[in-house]
Amino acid sequence: MLSSDFPIDRLGGPVHKRILSLVSLCLCFQAGQVTLKAQEFKLLDRTVQVHGFVSQGFAYTNNNNWLTMNTSQGSAAFTDFGLNMSSQITDKFRVGAQGYDRNLGQLGQYHPSLDWAVADYRFKDWFGVRGGKVKTTLGLYTDTQDEDFLRTFALLPQSVYPTDLRDATIAHLGGDIYGKISLRRRLGVLSYTAYIGHRNDSIYSGYPYYLSSFGAQIKSFGGLQYGADLRWSTPLKGLLIGASRLNQHITGRGLAINPFNPGEGLVPYSESSKADWTNQFYGEYIVGKLRIDAEYSRYWRNQELFGGTSESFADVRGWYVAGAYRISKRFQIGSYYSHYTISNTVAGALAAFYPPATDTGLPANHDYDKVITGRVDLTKFWNVKVEGHFMNGYGSGPYPNGFYTQVNPGGFAPNTNALVVKTSLNF
Amino acid sequence: MKNRRLLSLVAVVVIFAPCRVIAADVKVIANGSVKADMISATEVKSVFLEESNSLRDGTHVEPVLEKDGPVHQAFMREYLGGSDYDLESYYRALVFSGRGSMPKQLGSDAEVVAYVARTKGAIGYVSAETMVEDVKTLTIVREGNGAQRRLITRVEPNYPDTLKRLNIGGTVRLQLTIGPKGNVETVEVLGGNPILGEAAVAAVRQWVYTASRSRTTAELTIPFDSHH
Repeated sequence: MLSSDFPIDRLGGPVHKRILSLVSLCLCFQAGQVTLKAQEFKLLDRTVQVHGFVSQGFAYTNNNNWLTMNTSQGSAAFTDFGLNMSSQITDKFRVGAQGYDRNLGQLGQYHPSLDWAVADYRFKDWFGVRGGKVKTTLGLYTDTQDEDFLRTFALLPQSVYPTDLRDATIAHLGGDIYGKISLRRRLGVLSYTAYIGHRNDSIYSGYPYYLSSFGAQIKSFGGLQYGADLRWSTPLKGLLIGASRLNQHITGRGLAINPFNPGEGLVPYSESSKADWTNQFYGEYIVGKLRIDAEYSRYWRNQELFGGTSESFADVRGWYVAGAYRISKRFQIGSYYSHYTISNTVAGALAAFYPPATDTGLPANHDYDKVITGRVDLTKFWNVKVEGHFMNGYGSGPYPNGFYTQVNPGGFAPNTNALVVKTSLNF
Repeated sequence: MKNRRLLSLVAVVVIFAPCRVIAADVKVIANGSVKADMISATEVKSVFLEESNSLRDGTHVEPVLEKDGPVHQAFMREYLGGSDYDLESYYRALVFSGRGSMPKQLGSDAEVVAYVARTKGAIGYVSAETMVEDVKTLTIVREGNGAQRRLITRVEPNYPDTLKRLNIGGTVRLQLTIGPKGNVETVEVLGGNPILGEAAVAAVRQWVYTASRSRTTAELTIPFDSHH
């Protein structure tokens, strides 16, 4: 394996990371005390709401290092926070923006980003438009995947919501149309969203980090995204079902070591989509204190590599079934099973380097994760979660899913058990 | 004279008894700028879930919640379903994904009434027993087995003078059957003060809805407010 050229932040050393984590945690407690009293202010006679969150996690694994953290030693490089402001300008017009930052092992590295910045005009309940940097509607949780305080679990099922790859689907610079239509004869409510825009990944996200294991230095990664989501709140109280579709035309550019002549050094590298789509189907049922949800996602990815000299075909499939129960006002338990498989072939000049990896029964091509979680709400705004993951497989490529060779230089063990402890605060 | 006082006392006790049964009931109130006098339970839900920011008549509305307590619990049970925890998570999901705002949450009936009275388009809820001024109390209709039918003739209930003088009010819940021609065929009192219930039944029997192919049912919550 070639050496990693992934950008290493000067503040990314373990000591600095711990200090930053600690400082952010202290700030979060302080913020919690102050802002619970002052979440809004007046500006030009309009009310501006301010909300924020911060979370700090710790992960320990018995085998492989996970999510780019040094988890086999125990890692607290698992911090994120966001702050937003929004205001209802007129009856129909609303604006807002949120900044977001995170450090997850080698990812994020405390480089802040504009998470969303939206101008939203709702003409009618059945038709509205929003533009700017907009959170992408894909399945149940894509648009809220960073806000773990909304859910029982510390980590969403990684088969469908890989936290290391959040940039791939989190938002687009463009526009949405959306609306809700009440169906006659009490047949429930249909909600739709259709969108088009440009995705722009941080170079500190999972896929550029993955490519760095091949000596690639990605300078830009992004492209056109368009898709739609349709969900139906059925007449059966608490039952929602839906489907999402996402199409992408993505181009990545940078430098890479020429695999045919490594001695040549860095040469221009590019990859671009020939076909890139995701289908996601989902359902959610809430009855009393019980919440059950399930999703299925298929991601088909056909990329031209090295300017078209080679082509890669990846078929990524994931599904999960999750259940969560609120035992009391302050205590919840939950469990899910998450099933991830990847099948990959490479054609063209690079085929000699990458034999087909189509046997999803092999640990390298799957990740089956059984999870149990307990959540305690210490206050309405502050929770602590303890979560156990029991994983079989490590699905390490060619599209990553939590396990990376750079942080596992000795190779992968087939099974990984993980303990995740996470606390988050929001206001 | 003594007998009359005793009778009045007994009457008041009798009148209050059923009120206690529905002590946790709520009434939906709105700022005077809201045109509608009657809205559906579905509209209430849509407004409080921020799925709608206007009523069917086009009036812009803004939901106002009461902090967790018996009134809020009763409202959740009656109109939204789920728990306060679920509702909080729902609002936070809107706020942190850029899809909505956190609605105003106030600590008591008095604060809600005061805020609704001074805020254009505000719509909130308070205990059915709370006396309200400078706001309108909305009649809530819950559609039954048919499509929503528009009310074309409405007769206001005759508020019994004795109860009004004694400031005895609240809400009455009725179940109606509406015939194909739009006339109200049957009315059943589901809850509330029986004397107010009688007055409500007498009025609602005279209501006329738009025609429909079949017989439909609806559930109404009618407010009696001694200050109006």
